[in-house]
Amino acid sequence: MSPSISLTINGEARAVALDDPRVTLLDLLRERLDLPGTKKGCDRGQCGACTVLVDGRRVNSCLTLAATLDGAEITTIEGLALGEELHPVQAAFIENDAFQCGYCTPGQIMSAVGLISEGSAGDDPERIREGMSGNICRCAAYHGITIAVQEATRNMIRTDKEDAA
Amino acid sequence: MTLHRPESLDEALSLLGGGAVVLAGGTDVYPGLRDGPPPSRMVDLTRVAGLRGISLRDGLWRIGAATTWTDVLRAELPACFAGLKGAAREVGSVQIQNTGTVAGNICNASPAADGVPALMALDAQVEVAGPEGPRRVALEQFIRGPRNVDLRPSEIVSAVLVPEATGQGAFRKLGARKYLVISIAMVAAVVEVSGNAISRARVSVGSCSPVAVRLRGLEEALTGATVAEVPGIVAGADLPGLTPIDDVRASAAYRREAVRTLIARTITDAMEVRDVT
Repeated sequence: MSPSISLTINGEARAVALDDPRVTLLDLLRERLDLPGTKKGCDRGQCGACTVLVDGRRVNSCLTLAATLDGAEITTIEGLALGEELHPVQAAFIENDAFQCGYCTPGQIMSAVGLISEGSAGDDPERIREGMSGNICRCAAYHGITIAVQEATRNMIRTDKEDAA
Repeated sequence: MTLHRPESLDEALSLLGGGAVVLAGGTDVYPGLRDGPPPSRMVDLTRVAGLRGISLRDGLWRIGAATTWTDVLRAELPACFAGLKGAAREVGSVQIQNTGTVAGNICNASPAADGVPALMALDAQVEVAGPEGPRRVALEQFIRGPRNVDLRPSEIVSAVLVPEATGQGAFRKLGARKYLVISIAMVAAVVEVSGNAISRARVSVGSCSPVAVRLRGLEEALTGATVAEVPGIVAGADLPGLTPIDDVRASAAYRREAVRTLIARTITDAMEVRDVT
């Protein structure tokens, strides 16, 4: 049996036939849908490099079977920027040197976007570190990552207020 | 292999047996899938109506089998659940908490399952659905050993049930780092205080025996204790239920020593915390 699923990926509706129902969302994105920005690190939920948003919630795409996502909305690192305009989290990562080798960075950024929308950490560095603890950085850029998430959180709150005004 | 996504409990039950693998969040199931031959079929419970969420009825809290750890964290629950919420915050990472379920944590039956001590301290029961109708079994009986639960191939866990209770919960986990780590030891407690002394304590320890255990002898010894007396009582207690082993995370000797400190701190946490957010 080859199940077919409908997904909205970065705002674009896609119909995907799955030749193997065991395919993970991570492999689907990278191998089939030409979206290699999502990285494969440990492939078992321990590193966070594969973090994407499914219906707005951050999940490990390596621990998500694509076949269980029929009708879901997926956001990957490729879907954050508006053309040439970086997402505030992307801009804050660059501004604060929140990476070294960059391999974990797409996952870090997607996790930070999820964390900020959860709204439970605010700009408290301890809560940010807890909320980002599912994303490991082997270059240990954690200090910059925490500052970047703090800054992006403040910038996004400010923008929201301006938009509301 | 085929994947089924039933929308009712009856439909889910009709798909069981014959090597079918049941999954909800899948965070424990998927890593295992890559290491062996695929199962004949998988049954995803996340679309089954009424299986997700937490509700209170007739003195019993019901945590549906598809309820995630994030759902637990966001639910408004009484103070005795603070230990379960503490465990919810330390299961894997937020990415795992967003998909992994309470019931899955129990069914996976790891000796290091973060949710189990907290649920044992709450006297949780497991509601099992099967062809002969539902049955209930105490969590302490449900988990028979590592990766071994009281569940027939024709059955699934439909909910975890917790009797309404007063008291304050607490949870502490000891690991090599704070988050995203498998426990060296963990302790959950639910403590009721009258005046300044314990009137009832329920204490459970995980990662120090094949299955998490309640420390009933210690619980009795703690009755009447003040905060100041707790460390001495814990230090001198006989804890026959704890049989820690040497493994990659810690030695048995380290666990045996560290767990007493962890127990005393968890109990005093529960005695001192009055407001839980």
